[in-house]
Amino acid sequence: MTAPLALTSSRRQDGVTVLTAVGEIDMSNTGDLATAIEQVPGPIVLDLTGVEYLDSAGLSVLFAHADRIQLIATALLEPVLTISGLADLTTVHRP
Amino acid sequence: MARHHDGEPAGPIADRAASVFAADWKVGADLARVDWSATPLGPPDRWPVSLQTAVSILLASKFPMWMAWGEDLTFFCNDAYRRDTLGQKYPWALGRPSHEVWEEIWDAIGPRIQTVLATGEATWDEALLLFLERSGYPEESYHTFSYSPMRDDDGRIVGMLCVVSEDTERVIGDRRMATLRDLGSDPSVLRTEREMLDFAVTQLGRNPYDLPFTLTYLYQEGGGARLAAATGFPGGHPAAVDFLDPGGATVWPIEMPLRGESAVMPLDGAVFADLPPGPWAAAPAQAMVVPLRQQGGQPYGFLVAALNRYRAMDEGYGAFVELVAGYIAAGIGSARSYGAQQRRAEELMELDRAKTTFFSNISHEFRTPLTLIMGPVQELQNRLSDADPRVREELEAIRRNGMRLGKLVNNLLDFSRIEAGRMRAVYERVDLAVVTRELASVFRSAVVKAGLDFEVDCQTLPSAVYVDRDMWEKVVLNLLSNALKFTFEGSIRVTTRAVDGQAQVEVADTGIGVADEEMPRLFERFHRIESARSRSNEGSGIGLALAKELIALHGGVITATSAVGEGTCLTIRLPFGSAHLPSDAVFSEPGVDSAPTGADPFLQEALRWLPSAGESAGGGAGAAVGRGEQAPEPVAGPRRAGPADAGRVLVADDNADMRDYLTRLLRGAGYEVTVVADGRQALESVTADVPDLIISDVMMPDLDGLALVAALRGDPRTASIPVLLLSARAGQEASIEGLRAGADDYLVKPFAAAELLARVRANIELSQLRSHHIRWRNALVDSLQEAFFICEQDGTVVETNAAFGGILGYGPEGLPYRPAHPWWPEAATEPEAHRRVAEAFTALPGRDRGTQTVPVTHREGHRLWISIASDRVRDPDSDRTVIVGTFRDVTAEYYAVQRETALAALAGCLARATSLPEALTGALEELKNLWHARRVVAAVFGSGDEPVLTTTDPALAWPQLAAERRRALADLRQQPALTTVADEAGASVLLEHPDGPLVLGIELGEQRPLSVEDLLLLSLLGSHLAQGLARVHQIEQQRETAIALQRAILGPSSLPEGFAVRYEPATRPLEVGGDWYDTVRLADGRIGIVVGDCVGRGLSAASVMGQMRSACRALLLQDASPARVLTVLDQFALDVPGAVCTTVFCGVLDPETGNLTYSSAGHPPGILVHSDGGTHLLEEGRALPLAVRPEHPRPESICAIPARSTLLLYTDGLVERRRRSLSAGIDQAGAVVRAGRDAAVEDLATDVINSLAPAGGYDDDVALLLYRHPAPLQISFAAESSQLAPVRQALRGWLDQCDLPPGTVQNVLVAVGEACANAIEHGHREVRGEVVLFRAEAGVDSLHLTITDSGSWKPPEIQSGTDRGRGLTLMHALMNQVVVTPGPTGTTVRMHKRIGL
Repeated sequence: MTAPLALTSSRRQDGVTVLTAVGEIDMSNTGDLATAIEQVPGPIVLDLTGVEYLDSAGLSVLFAHADRIQLIATALLEPVLTISGLADLTTVHRP
Repeated sequence: MARHHDGEPAGPIADRAASVFAADWKVGADLARVDWSATPLGPPDRWPVSLQTAVSILLASKFPMWMAWGEDLTFFCNDAYRRDTLGQKYPWALGRPSHEVWEEIWDAIGPRIQTVLATGEATWDEALLLFLERSGYPEESYHTFSYSPMRDDDGRIVGMLCVVSEDTERVIGDRRMATLRDLGSDPSVLRTEREMLDFAVTQLGRNPYDLPFTLTYLYQEGGGARLAAATGFPGGHPAAVDFLDPGGATVWPIEMPLRGESAVMPLDGAVFADLPPGPWAAAPAQAMVVPLRQQGGQPYGFLVAALNRYRAMDEGYGAFVELVAGYIAAGIGSARSYGAQQRRAEELMELDRAKTTFFSNISHEFRTPLTLIMGPVQELQNRLSDADPRVREELEAIRRNGMRLGKLVNNLLDFSRIEAGRMRAVYERVDLAVVTRELASVFRSAVVKAGLDFEVDCQTLPSAVYVDRDMWEKVVLNLLSNALKFTFEGSIRVTTRAVDGQAQVEVADTGIGVADEEMPRLFERFHRIESARSRSNEGSGIGLALAKELIALHGGVITATSAVGEGTCLTIRLPFGSAHLPSDAVFSEPGVDSAPTGADPFLQEALRWLPSAGESAGGGAGAAVGRGEQAPEPVAGPRRAGPADAGRVLVADDNADMRDYLTRLLRGAGYEVTVVADGRQALESVTADVPDLIISDVMMPDLDGLALVAALRGDPRTASIPVLLLSARAGQEASIEGLRAGADDYLVKPFAAAELLARVRANIELSQLRSHHIRWRNALVDSLQEAFFICEQDGTVVETNAAFGGILGYGPEGLPYRPAHPWWPEAATEPEAHRRVAEAFTALPGRDRGTQTVPVTHREGHRLWISIASDRVRDPDSDRTVIVGTFRDVTAEYYAVQRETALAALAGCLARATSLPEALTGALEELKNLWHARRVVAAVFGSGDEPVLTTTDPALAWPQLAAERRRALADLRQQPALTTVADEAGASVLLEHPDGPLVLGIELGEQRPLSVEDLLLLSLLGSHLAQGLARVHQIEQQRETAIALQRAILGPSSLPEGFAVRYEPATRPLEVGGDWYDTVRLADGRIGIVVGDCVGRGLSAASVMGQMRSACRALLLQDASPARVLTVLDQFALDVPGAVCTTVFCGVLDPETGNLTYSSAGHPPGILVHSDGGTHLLEEGRALPLAVRPEHPRPESICAIPARSTLLLYTDGLVERRRRSLSAGIDQAGAVVRAGRDAAVEDLATDVINSLAPAGGYDDDVALLLYRHPAPLQISFAAESSQLAPVRQALRGWLDQCDLPPGTVQNVLVAVGEACANAIEHGHREVRGEVVLFRAEAGVDSLHLTITDSGSWKPPEIQSGTDRGRGLTLMHALMNQVVVTPGPTGTTVRMHKRIGL
């Protein structure tokens, strides 16, 4: 069984694609996350507000696209993003 | 200066002076030449009258004089003085001041002169030593002189007159004379050359004036001269050289004196430096070397005499030294000749001693051949009494001469004894008249036969006389024999009288007499008086000499008066009493009167001289006459006939003839004879075969007769054999010596055959009588059932009986048995047994009495046990302590006891054992001790691949055994059970063991045989062991069953997570009691918790408890309401005997929420300790114990157990103590839990049970149950990524129960997720399906997380920058501590997170 993760993509008014993830991200479903991001060309806003768990496998996907993504994350994920250094590479917005 | 001038013409002054000096023209002329005007006296014509007169008198005197006058004490002297004293100072001295003239002696005379001038009193000095330089050298001189004052015309003292006489010649002459006189003072006492030289040294040393030093050299045989004496050398000096070698230049000339020449030599040269000066101021300058002349031979040596340098070497001096040398030479000559004479005397004495010894020895030596002549001759005479008269005549001649020779030998022996001082007289108080009369009567027949009158007139004497009977006999018989020999007609007269206070015995004859000139030599030894006529030419010339010596021994004298043709009278005078005799040889009691014993030879000899008697003596009757008077003919005849009762005789003699003779004699008398050549052989023979009698010579090589007797008497087996000693040594002292040594009888050679046989017979009869007693004793000893033995102090067994041989197999033929006895076990193979028996036997002499049991070896090799009883006994014969012992064979008893002991030990060991291994180990130890084995092994061939080995050597396992041994043990399984097999190692036996066949091996470790009894015992013990093991096995099984049952009723074997329990039954070895705990997993996930306590302890309480526990459990499963469960349990308890009053805590826990619903039936409250240490008692929901009021409703309460708090439930045994309130115990328990609230519950449980235990242990059942909320989370999952989400889910739930801050939860989730991902990704890349274990446990303020996989992680540095490297970074960042421990079977990650940080 893979960790529950729902990914929905939408386009903001400024044309930027917003990818919304809900659930948990671990090594069992990082492939899904990666596929979803790669399908979107250009800048992307990744909304992790509904993500309850993010581990280093998920972080490594985000690192791969760090130059074109912005994150929206709750305080729950903040330690992970900060410790890993991703917060320094991308813009993290509070919801 | 007032010197005269030769040839100066005399002036008028001189003329005047000439009248003053006219009294002596010689000295006067010289005086006149003195220039007197230059002296204070002025010209003589002006001299006062008194001076002129004095000078005139001086010159006129013939007595030596000198005078001093005036302020300068001007010197005058006369001619006599000039001649004797002044010497070369004349005429210089005339007119000079006196102190100039006698400058050298002014110290001595100046003060005297001043005294005279001052006091006017005259002085007087006699023989004063003055060193005058009148002859060109300081000269030793002696002067007697007087100074008298001289007065001038006014009567003033103006000078002095000295009248002197010189004593030099007299003083020195006297001195030399004294030395010569002393040298010759007493030479007679100087025995040796050394003494003489020492004496000379003393004497010469007393005259160091003439002889400052002397050296006496004596020529040596090999050349050169040795210093023999020296004087004047206080220490050594090169000149006093010890030896003058003839080869080279010597300090002193040795050749010159050897030629007899003397010389004076100067003492120049380095060797003479620092010579001792003697009493003089300077050392001598000359020495005289004088030969020590020998009359008619070369000089003995020479004398070096240092000369007094203050005397001229004149004729007198030289003569003196020559005389000294002459004295010394004479002394040496005398000493040497004395020494030579003394050596000669000593040589002569030695010669004399040798002669005496020779006589003594040769006389002894004569005795043996004499015996061998006399014995056979007498035998021959007896046997040939009917033979040809010529034969008989010749035999008689042999016998007679033999007897004579014997007499001669005896006389010689007597002489030699007297000379050697060995003649031991025994002076007895006798009536001399009676004794002498008896002796005379012996000769009566011969005297009468000779046709002479025999007059015996022995008057009784007034006092007793002390004589040695044997000696006196010789004296009288010699005198009588002598008288008869030289008397042809007339009479012989013997008289005793008391004359002049002495006893007088006279033997007077009317014989041929002795010439006057022969009389002085009458008593001289070996001197025979040549006479015209005698009855016989025989005679050694020692008869009278011997008589004289013997009489002298008695303090008496013998004298003779004789006239040729008229006869001779010999007169003996003996003192009365015993005062003149040595007291130790005097016996006051008169001795037993006995017939003369030594008369026979004398009489035989005398009769032989007589023509008629000669014919008579020629036949056998002659011998019979003599003997008939002495001793009865021995009855030897019948003895020769009967060999039936004849004894066995051992003859020991080194003389083959003697052996043959004795053998013939004894065999002839029917004895069985064994002969040996010396004492040593005799001892050997006796040891092998005990004879009835031993006849032994005294003198034998190697071991002589006396030593043989001593050896025989020293050995109990031979102590009683009679011994007859034969000796050539006559005399009582010899026989006493023999008898003292232990001989039974003593016979002196020569002896009569008949006497020997008589003694032999008597001794053998005695011996046989004695041996009869011995046989009786031996029969008694042999009849004893017990073994009997006698052993000596050193342990040597010297006597045994029949039973001894029967028991041990060692019979009397092997005696003596010396330690180590042959029945001792071998020291090499059985050291312990050897030690015991050796101790027992060596301890025998030291023990008064006692009994001990020891192992011995039978001659045939089997083991015996004997019980020895011993006692010390003093042997009356030898006066030695011996050990008498008895023993019996206790082998059967010993083995019975050993068997019983061993069985008891084995049984005890099996009874104590609580398990099979313990039983077997203990049994092996017993077997090892029993046989003192090196090792005992037991191999159980069970179901396993290799047998299970149990040994007394704990380090040993089956594979370590030698292959052969393993095989041997394995092969034994083929043997029938309980059949013992002796093998190389020792012995083995096959037994039944509950696990399979058991091979038991006894390994002795030494080459010692196990006896049949040992094997039997092993078999017996083996069967007991097998039974014992079976029994132990059975008990073990029962016990295991009981324990399993007990554990079954106690509680669940597995507890839910978070719980820990402890149980302490009060009654051992039961493992259960009345208390219990229980946990019940309910269908809804909740957990039922029960802790109960039935009344009482032990098995009965346990059986009630079991029912209550089961009931409670069943009720909980049916209805999870504690109150209702207890209500129903009230009813149940009513029906169970002993269940009333059971207290129970019953609760239902929701592990998710920590909610505990509970009800208590009179049970102590649970203790809840919060994470912050707050403590809370579960005191609600409480009612009475079970079945007390079953109708009462039971309350129920709910308690929320906070996260990370600890609940303790227990029975009262944990906290209830005498004399202490229950609440105090509860507080104590709460404190222990509080202190350990962060510890794992298992550890805490142990801590609680230990901390609360009373000093002597719990005396009531104790049950306790601990729960920590939440229970640890433990998940095992397949190593797949898909498992991460469910694990995370479960962890999230558990973390919720832990009541943590939200951030902490997320951090823990991520860290655990990363660790699990690592475990999945790296630990299990190759192998799928492996399992990862995850455990999470909450403490009071921390979380412990553990992830374990079965793979290995890559080192972090390789992974850095990758996903997993990032994961590890996260773990470290999120956790307080991360420890990754790689191991051979997998990797463990331990993480620690503090709560609240």
